Amino acid sequence: MEKSGENEMVTPGDVLGRATDLKPGKGAYVASHNNTIYASLTGLRRIQLPPPDSPDQRPIVEVTGHKAHGPVPEPGSVVIARVTKVMARTASADIMCVGPKSVREKFTGIIRQQDVRATEIDKVDMHLSFHPGDIVRAVVLSLGDARAYYLSTAKNELGVVSAESSAGATMVPISWTEMQCPLTGQIEQRKVAKVVS
Amino acid sequence: MENKQSSSPASFIDSTIVPGDVVLDLSSMTNQTIKLGGGLRQDCDVISAMKAGTLRFSKPNKYWIESSQKRYVPCVEDTVLGIVVDSKADNFLIDIKGPTLAFLPVLAFEGGTRRNIPKFELGTLLYLRVVKANFGMNPELSCTDASGKAAEFGPLKDGYMFETSTGLSRKLLSSPTCPVLEALGKKLSFEIAVGLNGRVWVNAASPDTVVVVANAIMNSESLSTAQQIIMVEHLLKNIQ
Repeated sequence: MEKSGENEMVTPGDVLGRATDLKPGKGAYVASHNNTIYASLTGLRRIQLPPPDSPDQRPIVEVTGHKAHGPVPEPGSVVIARVTKVMARTASADIMCVGPKSVREKFTGIIRQQDVRATEIDKVDMHLSFHPGDIVRAVVLSLGDARAYYLSTAKNELGVVSAESSAGATMVPISWTEMQCPLTGQIEQRKVAKVVS
Repeated sequence: MENKQSSSPASFIDSTIVPGDVVLDLSSMTNQTIKLGGGLRQDCDVISAMKAGTLRFSKPNKYWIESSQKRYVPCVEDTVLGIVVDSKADNFLIDIKGPTLAFLPVLAFEGGTRRNIPKFELGTLLYLRVVKANFGMNPELSCTDASGKAAEFGPLKDGYMFETSTGLSRKLLSSPTCPVLEALGKKLSFEIAVGLNGRVWVNAASPDTVVVVANAIMNSESLSTAQQIIMVEHLLKNIQ
């Protein structure tokens, strides 16, 4: 089969090529009885050229690019999220990375007042912990409800990792509750994550 | 007011400022603590204006910009007049002429418990105090003062509510008493509640009085003291 110039959308069971011309990669497999490569996932058909030093010079065909192949938050995984809304007793955040990988589709998380820190949880002021736009490291507590995952920042190494001051500069953390703007010297309150270097 | 600036740009205190004007140069004033009020922001070493208005200074070190707008920006400890828009399980949603609706917790009343939650109809006018007003969050209100007492907060019955600018509301609440209110008070008897969000409520025994008071206040915004007194006399002559 000739190599098509553009990537086409394939579904499980679609023929991708012959095993004599191509090698199956991610999302593809060889049916040994007729030496044909079929797709096993939904996605875009991509051809990768083989590394020049390998003995088998067949191009690799793979099926990738669909959002279902992306990482999904699981209870217990550490996620990086951006805070979108801060309210009286909860803060909403958009989950951007699960572990080291970035997600392919949008997941929403909620940090409740009792999950912000481990001590004095009923005296937490959400506005003194997060501001909209902050990047936080949190752990997924549970799948939550239909709208959002439940996240928690109740550990020393969880919390705000990066935040912008009202003057627009990236702030420098000075303690577990305070960050300072380098341009104006103003100190703002956040629940800061302890970054272990 | 004492002028502390000795550098070449003339001091801007009490003069009209537009956004972008540099009003203070911090490099020439070292080792001083300056308190910035509304409308001013710090840009590394200079203080520049964000709002158009008059720059005010109060000893020893407070600077702020006084301006008058039709829109209201919620601030903590302001007293405002709000209108009930909706009621939810935990709070009432109140319109206070700000960028978002404000929340009034259902228990924020003197002696408020889960058993005696007040029932406000949609459209009820309330005199309230702003408890929390952070950027990006809905403001939180209360019907008690800081110590938990009712102190005149709560629903306002009868009367007439009209809208003004925020500058006029502040003038009506200033002490010594605003000339318009003093002149009206000498001849008429009425009740008034002023919200810093640009809403004023007036109540009196007869509708004529209410209308005269409302018109007098609305006319007095740009008049000087003497002009206000003359305007009030003129209005009172027509009804008596």
